[in-house]
Amino acid sequence: MALISLKKIYKIYNVGGEEVRALDGIDLDIQENEYLAIMGPSGSGKSTLMNMIGCLDTPTSGLYEFEGEMVQVMDDSQLASIRNRKIGFVFQTFNLLPKATAQHNVEIPLVYANIRKSQRIEMASKALESVGLSDRSHHRPNELSGGQRQRVAIARALVNDPSIILADEPTGNLDSKSGHEIMNILDELHKRGNTIILVTHEDEVAQHAHRVIRLFDGKITEDVELKSS
Amino acid sequence: MILLFLENFKISLSAVFANKTRSILTALGIIIGISSVTLMGTLISGLDRSFESSMSWLGKDILYVSRYEWFSDMDWWEVRNRPKMLPEYVEKIKERSSYAMAVAPVMQRGASLSHEDKETRTEIFGTNEEYMATISTDIANGRFFTRNEDRSGSRVVVIGDGISEAFFGDQDPIGKYIKIDKMKFRVIGVLEKQGKFLGLFSVDKQAILPFGAYKRIFSRRGWMRLSVKVPPEKLEEGLDEITSVMRHIRGLRPNEKNDFAINQTKAFEAQYNTLKIAIGGTGVFITLLSLIVGGIGIMNIMFVSVKERTREIGVRKAIGATSGMIMGQFLMEAVTICLFAGSIGIFLAYVISFFINMFFPSTLPFGLSIAAMLMSMMVGIISGLIPSYRAAKLDPIESLRYE
Repeated sequence: MALISLKKIYKIYNVGGEEVRALDGIDLDIQENEYLAIMGPSGSGKSTLMNMIGCLDTPTSGLYEFEGEMVQVMDDSQLASIRNRKIGFVFQTFNLLPKATAQHNVEIPLVYANIRKSQRIEMASKALESVGLSDRSHHRPNELSGGQRQRVAIARALVNDPSIILADEPTGNLDSKSGHEIMNILDELHKRGNTIILVTHEDEVAQHAHRVIRLFDGKITEDVELKSS
Repeated sequence: MILLFLENFKISLSAVFANKTRSILTALGIIIGISSVTLMGTLISGLDRSFESSMSWLGKDILYVSRYEWFSDMDWWEVRNRPKMLPEYVEKIKERSSYAMAVAPVMQRGASLSHEDKETRTEIFGTNEEYMATISTDIANGRFFTRNEDRSGSRVVVIGDGISEAFFGDQDPIGKYIKIDKMKFRVIGVLEKQGKFLGLFSVDKQAILPFGAYKRIFSRRGWMRLSVKVPPEKLEEGLDEITSVMRHIRGLRPNEKNDFAINQTKAFEAQYNTLKIAIGGTGVFITLLSLIVGGIGIMNIMFVSVKERTREIGVRKAIGATSGMIMGQFLMEAVTICLFAGSIGIFLAYVISFFINMFFPSTLPFGLSIAAMLMSMMVGIISGLIPSYRAAKLDPIESLRYE
């Protein structure tokens, strides 16, 4: 059974009386421990697909099964619980809380998972350590470099031990050296058994993945295996 | 759940403290509202207590017969044209009334009291030996004067605790002489300490003389009133009976109006209740107004806060916050501001009532501070509800895109 299974997914917006098909009949299965890159020009629907997979958005029609469960019928708290425990988001703009320390930022998902303070501290420290930021845990985001911020964001995505990392242009706001570091961390996570789903413009970034799909006008135009995973 | 509650509380604290000036300005309405409601409550409870003790001094079962009605808007010339109260009414009332347990004529004027080099101006009262039954005060030391002393015009005096203290200090005043307007009187008794009447004047600074001596020395004319004690459970019957006795004494025909007044402490109570309602009503009005204005302020700032943190809301939802958790976070923030405002308001009211207490009895009741805190919490919840709901319902994708 596929970890994620999308069948005939449509997402249709109505913009000024005109129908816009952001997703136009997507069929996609993602297995556990895949390393997938979603590519495509802007407006091709890759971000919408990403949000759909991440349970932030619901399709207009079609069937989305996450670990065999139908996502459409889930309520707000079930969706929140999946986002909290199964999926870790990494954004292009990091999206850390500016007033909280790195440590606290990483702890937030654990707060929503209702985990005790002592355990929270331990888990967050471990996650920060795994991205090599133990010594920066009490810095605020504005005291960290872009690469470091993205690593904090990855630690936050990891901390609840979710199996899937959804990274939306994770290197888009970084210089090439920091970008490399981030990609190395994602490679490492993949080796450790996580499922990685990347959205990217850059071929170089996509080269890290083992499977690449290309979107155009809301349709999958290409689906290639780069290397066997 | 508790974990989340604590976390939300921490978030609200940091949000409130991150915008100190804004928070304080926003809270101002609530601060004013809460301090005014606590102050009003404080004042009223102070009034209540001093009124209670003052009323017990007057006595609920006493009828005060005189020319004028308390708190009436009768024209002064009408009052002036009424016949005077006469000392012989005392005996006449006693003869004809079955309810009157004690009847005391009371005349009153200002006079100068002195002992050795000490001097004070105060009120002196001329009355008979039944006077003690018409007041709730007891003799603390010595005795009251007798019927014989009254009849014979003996120059004896019963003084209030305040005068005794001022003139004699620790010494025993009984048997000592004081001068009232240069006339020598022998002190035979001291009244119990009473405190202030309605917080206005001290009843401990009085001197009571036998009616005989008072009339002879100080005033043949002047205003007199009668204090008539009736059984407390027969107040209505007593009032009716004394009224008809007085009408008989005055020789009034059935179609003629009373040319005298019979007052009761009830008149004070009615007057007092009107005052209390006026103060309370004003207080409630001011409070409601400032709480509403304050609540709108809180709501406004919460909308701003939600707007400012749209992206944060998106992030929080993406990493697993449910709508309810987001709502809780912002509600908590509104409540936190209001609770801060409430505590400041109560503190202000406490400080102000401390100063008022120097002039007028007032104490902040504990229950009232709790009620005020609950009230601020309510304002926080009510004014935070719509902004928090809006925060909870934000679409995570759009929030994440929000710049």
